[in-house]
Amino acid sequence: MIRRPILPALLLLTGSLVAQTPRGTLVMAVRQEPVAPVPYIGPSTAGNADVADQLFLRLATLGSGARTTGDDALVPELAQRWIRRDARTVDFLLDPRARWHDGVPVSAADVTFAWDLIRTPVLGVDQAPYELIDSVLALDARTVRVRFRRPSAEQVYTAGFLLQPLPRHLIGTLPADSLGSSAFARGPVGNGPFRFVRRVPGSSVELRAVPDFFLGTPGLRRLVFRLIGSTDAQVNALLAGETDVMAEVPVTALDRVAARRDLRMVLTPGSFITYVLFNAKAPGNPDTEHPILAEQRVRRALALALDRSAIAERAFGPGTQTPTAVRSQAWYWVGGGQASGAADTAAARRLLAEAGWVDRDGDGIRDRDGTPLELGIIYPVQSSVFAGIAVQLEQAWRRVGVRARLEAIDGAVWIQRRRVGQFDVDIAGAYQDPSPSSLAQSWSCTSAAQPGSSNVGHWCDPEFDRLRTTATTGPDPVAGFRAMFARMANWQPAVVAGAPPGRVAVHTRYENVVLRPSKPWTALWQWRVRPSAMLPRDR
Amino acid sequence: MIGWVLRRTAAAVALVVLGTIVLVVLVHLLPGDPLTAIIGDRAIDPAARDALAARWGIGRPLPTVVADFLRNALHGDLGTSLAEQRPVATILRERLGPTILLGGTTLLVNFTVGLFLGTWSALHPESRRARAIGAISLATYTIPAFVIGLGLVWLGAIALPWFPAGGASDPLLDPEAGLVAVLLDRAHHLALPLLTMVLATIAVPIRQQRSAALETAHAAWVVAARARGVAPRRVAWQHVWRPALSPVITLLGLWLPMLVSGAVFVEAVFAWPGIGSLLATATAQRDIPLVIGTGVVVILLVQVGSLLADILQRLLDPVQRTA
Repeated sequence: MIRRPILPALLLLTGSLVAQTPRGTLVMAVRQEPVAPVPYIGPSTAGNADVADQLFLRLATLGSGARTTGDDALVPELAQRWIRRDARTVDFLLDPRARWHDGVPVSAADVTFAWDLIRTPVLGVDQAPYELIDSVLALDARTVRVRFRRPSAEQVYTAGFLLQPLPRHLIGTLPADSLGSSAFARGPVGNGPFRFVRRVPGSSVELRAVPDFFLGTPGLRRLVFRLIGSTDAQVNALLAGETDVMAEVPVTALDRVAARRDLRMVLTPGSFITYVLFNAKAPGNPDTEHPILAEQRVRRALALALDRSAIAERAFGPGTQTPTAVRSQAWYWVGGGQASGAADTAAARRLLAEAGWVDRDGDGIRDRDGTPLELGIIYPVQSSVFAGIAVQLEQAWRRVGVRARLEAIDGAVWIQRRRVGQFDVDIAGAYQDPSPSSLAQSWSCTSAAQPGSSNVGHWCDPEFDRLRTTATTGPDPVAGFRAMFARMANWQPAVVAGAPPGRVAVHTRYENVVLRPSKPWTALWQWRVRPSAMLPRDR
Repeated sequence: MIGWVLRRTAAAVALVVLGTIVLVVLVHLLPGDPLTAIIGDRAIDPAARDALAARWGIGRPLPTVVADFLRNALHGDLGTSLAEQRPVATILRERLGPTILLGGTTLLVNFTVGLFLGTWSALHPESRRARAIGAISLATYTIPAFVIGLGLVWLGAIALPWFPAGGASDPLLDPEAGLVAVLLDRAHHLALPLLTMVLATIAVPIRQQRSAALETAHAAWVVAARARGVAPRRVAWQHVWRPALSPVITLLGLWLPMLVSGAVFVEAVFAWPGIGSLLATATAQRDIPLVIGTGVVVILLVQVGSLLADILQRLLDPVQRTA
């Protein structure tokens, strides 16, 4: 009778001791050098963001369901809880245990300081995601009051997930335009589960676990981010055992990774999407309708001519979806339609003929009023995936009498041509924000009229805008978002060429592997190395 | 001789200045948004865009840009990288070590082993070994360096995990590790990139030296030396090899810039943190200050290499030395 309770107690004691001692190393490759891994003030690169996500917490983070609507959608991080005061006001109460890595408590002033930085033009932070926030005030050392411009189901998400406090006591006196080059940017002091240790220029960044991290002891002792710019080199480093994880494993390497016993593939709902964007306006002239693509029947015909499933699978491998609206897998919680996939060339031909595009001179290319049905497709020459998609578009559209002119251009020139709308058709890719509301940044009438916005195709559909607004103000946001997607699918400003899953190759020695949608590495501190499988670098 | 060296140095300095001016102008004429390095393809409102442009001095008249750059460069200030928001000179200093290590050892191997093999092939033109040296070096020369690199990574780092697949050092190496451990680590990481570079390029010095030595082997002074009964080894290395060095020295001068820009693909395959990959990334991102800074280093190396080659040739050639 006595022995029974002792054994579990001993096991519990041992377990808690193990949990309190971070052990193990994780080496990950990054494409860009994390030279200033600090939110808002460092260059906006994936390398900086991956490291910053380990150093700096948000007020709240997405739950396992990835939902962004409702006051209960998010999980507390720096904010212990939040209290709704009225339809436009939410108070966030900071966790009193939260500390900067120099020991100073995280305060409400750090939140208002970050808000001030976000609105500083010289830092170039995109304002569109914060459009809902009216003001951020410190009521006392621990309480932040956020006022919103209008009622919305995404108020807590907007303030909680998008605001990342920065230490005012360390950088509050520095001029905003010197923050990016400051000593703080080179060696940040954060508040997350890992602290900055060192950067070896051109090579790596090392972080160490914060043993007394207020949300729990990290399971890993050390994180190392290695700068490996090329995808091939990243695959080689993974296969050679020099890195432990790799996100976005290319389709060409899937077999080699699958053949390895020490690696396993973890699939997550990916936030990346590739789409074929039609320009609503004449190239370079936002005041004139596009002579071909402004007509919905033509856009639908071009979409129907494509075997989207084949294009998607060839570009991104199995598991890639072809949704009817421009939405990545990360918005799986909303649901919504998938394209049938296969091409319907007969329907495409019929629609083009109905629109007056007929091959009158017998050269295989349709024409109308003496103008051939010819479109230029731009894409960055650096992307072999986009180049492959462009070739498939050209072949598919030629079968229905459309001539496509492929224009592979240098990446920087491609960005510039997109910005000024100098294209007919553009092959684009994007990592979508966690909220479907973010579609407004690229597809709303407001963004169409705003110079410098992401709406480079100048798409404007008042009904789509109305649906987007009512989605976050109505009683059922999910149904609202679905209606918004359906409207977009019918409107057809673009065709999705592939919404791939997030494929992360992970070494089998890790357990408790948690990958969050949109920000997969934010739960890295919960990973552990199985004691029996430790490598020398884990000890 | 000293007067000639001073005149030649002055000409080199003038060429560096001229080359820098042309470089600054050409880089500013590149198509693409100069703010790409900072904002990428993100949306940005016009006010923020204007503030960024003003902050980074974008949109100033070209003559002002050129004058400012030259003035600052004289004080060692090559500007600030847009993408990294750090001084270009600092970034270049950080990358110079790995660049010199890989490029320098490549030159060292090419111009020792390569010259020896080239001379030896010339002295034994009909031997099987000489034919094998020619065939193998030519074969590896025709294969793109990145293909050789990928093959070596597969063989030497994945199939037979003897060498690291990439990087110039082990990021997990204890920062307090001793000098021997650090040197061994560097050598370990250098092995595959160096072998790739050597295999891809050694054919040039071998063939250059071989043809120069073949030409010299039939020169009158060599015939005379043989007739005098000079030992064959001495004929080979004193009467044939030394005069045949002249074209190879020119080649060495021209190859110095390869230290910086010749290893772009190899650096990409091996994630080697050199200046070549830095230049490629900076150009793709339109990080104009970094492109210009790196370009100036290349111009300097071209001029220094050319100057050193000229001086060496003059020292080696008694006719030129006394002219």
